[in-house]
Amino acid sequence: MGIETSKGYKQVMKWLKTTRKKPFKFQTDAWQYYAEGYSGLVNAPTGFGKTFSLFLAVVIDELNSTQESSKVKVVPGKLTTKKAKVQTGLKLIWITPLRSLAKDLSRAMREVCEQLGLDWQVGVRNGDTSQNDKLKQKKQMPEVLIITPESMHLLLAQKSTFNYFEHLQCIVADEWHELLGSKRGVMAELAISRIKGLLLEKHPERLLRIWGISATIGNIEQALNVLVPYEDVLKVIVKADIEKKIVIKSILPDHIDMLPWAGHLGHKLADKLLPIIYKSKTTLIFTNTRGQAELWYQTLLAKDENLAGQLAIHHGSIDFELRNWIEDSIHSGILKAVVSTSSLDLGVDFKPVDTVVQIGSPKGVARFLQRAGRSGHSPYETSKIYFLPTHALELVEAAAIKEAARTQNIESRDPIVMAFDTLIQYLVTLAVGDGFDDEKIYIEVKETHAFRELLPDEWAWIMRFITTGGESLTAYNEFSKVTKIDGLWKVESRQIAMRHRLHIGTIVSDAMLKVKYISGGFVGMVEESFVAKMKVGTSFTLAGRVLEFAMIKDMMVLVRKSKQKTAMSPSWMGGRMSLSANLGVILRKKYNETLDKQHDDEELDFILPLFERQAKVSHVPQSDEFLIELINTRDGYHLFAYPFEGRQVHEIMASLIAYRLGRLKPISFSIAMNDYGFELLSEQPLPLDEDNIKELFSPENLSDDIIASINATEMARRKFRDIACISGLVFQGYPGKYVANKHLQSSAALFFNVFSDYDKHNLLLRQAYDEAFYQQIEEPRLAAALHRIQKSKVIVVKAESYTPLCFPIKVDSLRDNMSSEELSQRIERMTAEAEKKSVRKKNVH
Amino acid sequence: MFINCRGERLYLSKERAIYWEREKMLIISDLHIGKSAHFRKSGIQVPDTVGKTDLQKLTALVKEFKPFTLLVTGDMFHNKINSDANAFLEWRKSYSEIRVVLVKGNHDELKTQDYVALGIEVHHKELLCHPFRFIHNKPKVFDEYYNLCGHIHPGIVIFGRAKQQLKFPCFYFNETCGILPAFSVFTGLFIMKPEKGDSFYAITPEKVVPIAISS
Repeated sequence: MGIETSKGYKQVMKWLKTTRKKPFKFQTDAWQYYAEGYSGLVNAPTGFGKTFSLFLAVVIDELNSTQESSKVKVVPGKLTTKKAKVQTGLKLIWITPLRSLAKDLSRAMREVCEQLGLDWQVGVRNGDTSQNDKLKQKKQMPEVLIITPESMHLLLAQKSTFNYFEHLQCIVADEWHELLGSKRGVMAELAISRIKGLLLEKHPERLLRIWGISATIGNIEQALNVLVPYEDVLKVIVKADIEKKIVIKSILPDHIDMLPWAGHLGHKLADKLLPIIYKSKTTLIFTNTRGQAELWYQTLLAKDENLAGQLAIHHGSIDFELRNWIEDSIHSGILKAVVSTSSLDLGVDFKPVDTVVQIGSPKGVARFLQRAGRSGHSPYETSKIYFLPTHALELVEAAAIKEAARTQNIESRDPIVMAFDTLIQYLVTLAVGDGFDDEKIYIEVKETHAFRELLPDEWAWIMRFITTGGESLTAYNEFSKVTKIDGLWKVESRQIAMRHRLHIGTIVSDAMLKVKYISGGFVGMVEESFVAKMKVGTSFTLAGRVLEFAMIKDMMVLVRKSKQKTAMSPSWMGGRMSLSANLGVILRKKYNETLDKQHDDEELDFILPLFERQAKVSHVPQSDEFLIELINTRDGYHLFAYPFEGRQVHEIMASLIAYRLGRLKPISFSIAMNDYGFELLSEQPLPLDEDNIKELFSPENLSDDIIASINATEMARRKFRDIACISGLVFQGYPGKYVANKHLQSSAALFFNVFSDYDKHNLLLRQAYDEAFYQQIEEPRLAAALHRIQKSKVIVVKAESYTPLCFPIKVDSLRDNMSSEELSQRIERMTAEAEKKSVRKKNVH
Repeated sequence: MFINCRGERLYLSKERAIYWEREKMLIISDLHIGKSAHFRKSGIQVPDTVGKTDLQKLTALVKEFKPFTLLVTGDMFHNKINSDANAFLEWRKSYSEIRVVLVKGNHDELKTQDYVALGIEVHHKELLCHPFRFIHNKPKVFDEYYNLCGHIHPGIVIFGRAKQQLKFPCFYFNETCGILPAFSVFTGLFIMKPEKGDSFYAITPEKVVPIAISS
């Protein structure tokens, strides 16, 4: 110990005293470890000053060192001022996953610096930073830079990057749990490895500390080792032993019949939500999709016009200025309520927010707790979250989440490894910047957690891919991208460099177009595919406004205000989340408890009539039972199975069973699933009875059967969409900055086909299959589920019509195909029906 | 399979070509020679076997039908002369007896002397060959000629009971025009919406299959 006696520590303590704050133990612990040269991870509940635990650690260190140097500073005059100027520069890089966090953080940090009399600049750099600010930063970096992983890579794509990091002391990855399970986390890992490498080259004696801040997750130790994979540094996890109090309450209708059996909107309960908004200071209303947010905004306004001006909508497709205004207004307490998506999920400290509402299932405990933490942000305040179900069965999920929250049964986030696409992008990024030495970078990359297992062969392939264009033995004389100049690999073509900079990042979305009023003023962004369906005069909603489509000009959607009150909302693409394994287990337990009445959950009492109905027309599965429902309708022969393992596992299990049924006789299926179960639908009777069910659901030959099921290809094809964008094979639209090049248009699907046919050993193709297998297929979880089914009692019910359990699956719009029939035989029975299809599409919105 | 079009017998090949027996004419569209090389030049890694496959397919067709004329209804070359185009030059030399005719498309931007060197007869707008007009993109006004064209890379999605669907490249025919599928394997599909009077012939790996349309 000993930090307590340092001047910087005393100064900070004195300042805290004047603001009547006392540091928590985890904060002083973090300061001490930082002073001793540790890297590490801080784990504390929201609202307890996680930011200060590290920011003040860096500040204390700075205060101590400047006081030392000020003693040396005896010679007055020009010389010292010059010397002092050299000393300034980037000291702390603060990585945040969300742009909206940056403003808040910089405000808080600036306040601290001001009050401590520390002459530090706090800068922000992300997609929203103006060109002007970027230029200023280029001339003189601020001492603290709050940055996204993407912008870090953009920094590395500039020339003479090293100058920026000359004085760097520490890199902090805020909300690390959020980055951990994504390719953005890999981007952070790679950027850190390079900055560390740059510093080591010039100043091998310097110590760069790397710290993370994370909410509680199941694998917190691993989270630290991913962020700080280096063997030779001191590492520590600083955990706060403080518990955040959370109150969870479900919003229940007057009667169970008011809740639909299926659906994802839940707006019938809007009347119940209004009183909650009225009695709260500020309410954050979380939805799962942007489209849902738009609908809820409209619904609430329609219910109570007085809310106009006090209700706002916030999501990722809304214009930056508008988002800014909304965030400021939440701070100042002008707004009564904000409808939001995950764009407001993370650590922003909105003091006036005292109530949070979650609409629809959050699908995971961690996300739910994170959102709950948005209210009652101050220490020891209670977080209050209401759960608003969108369909009846979600009430069981609510009960399950409550239990998981109580028992702190929180999911792990598995870090991404071997993301070749991200590595390829990173290497080209370096080549666009100062160029790179492949031997040096190989060592750096191999030290990261993500590429620990990288083989020399794979590295060689990647180098060939970016320098000669690939594997083939023929001379790729025309390929040009990365070339060796003076011993360093560089990108020479300015055009390729520019295109690459525009596409740095791993978040792949559909081509987005900016939406602007004809009279001026940006509203936000919509997907190109959505605009394509619109005619002049069509109305749609964005940012809570009803807009009338006028035209597309210069890759911009021009609109005017619509006279209509309601209109369709854009459907933004976005992955559907799957129920986590943790929650699945508890969910099955809750199904048991409902009919037994062995519980204290009001949700389960409430839903009892629905369960009784299910018991009457079919059966309610107990946790030692496995229910299968067989129903014949006009559509064909349905099989519904209920493993309660989450959408993702069901998708694989469904195609597995379809494949095994297909071996018994040639048959085609369409497949649908949700988090509770899946459906196989065929126009022919299914070759299935009580006797062969256990055989069909057998865990034997599982791997072979999964590979044999054609869906592996389909899934890999879906995964390849992102991979093709990230690795620079196809270019996604960039809002407002459309690079017109008709000769270079192609699609990920096309590349997938071409590689499958002509370049089988392509690593990106392998990555697509790996991602499908390990992230999507989750074979261990599937095997465990099948083993459980083997031990269960199988109950087959031939139901007369759709049951409460199967209904939500039946109406699901996402469907897959699976067939063991001859192609030409299938075609004979099928027809092209354009009209019907378009009608169906309309219903989806 | 054979179809009858304005009294002419046309053979639709699963290799994405039409053979017009009476004129001994092999008709293809959207060959996009040099597309893969153009992508590579711009730093996008397309395997160069793609261009070779297209030429191999063309060779097989020529051997099968022994045509007098090879007609390309546009987008024969993608942008400029590059290594892929040189490979075509080699191909051209070994089949110098065939008359190669190109009706220019939006991607055909080679210099006049390049076409001469490759021995290609170029028509800028269209080629009339009764009863057909060969043209890259289907015209907006119609006359007595039946238009055979390419450009859009037609594809069709078919639906079955139990919510099944399948997607194929296809030939498309209506009252006034027929559209050929894109010949090159490195091309995408434009999914057509059937209207009354349309005929679709889906291309499967085994054969060409006529598609029934329900409304």
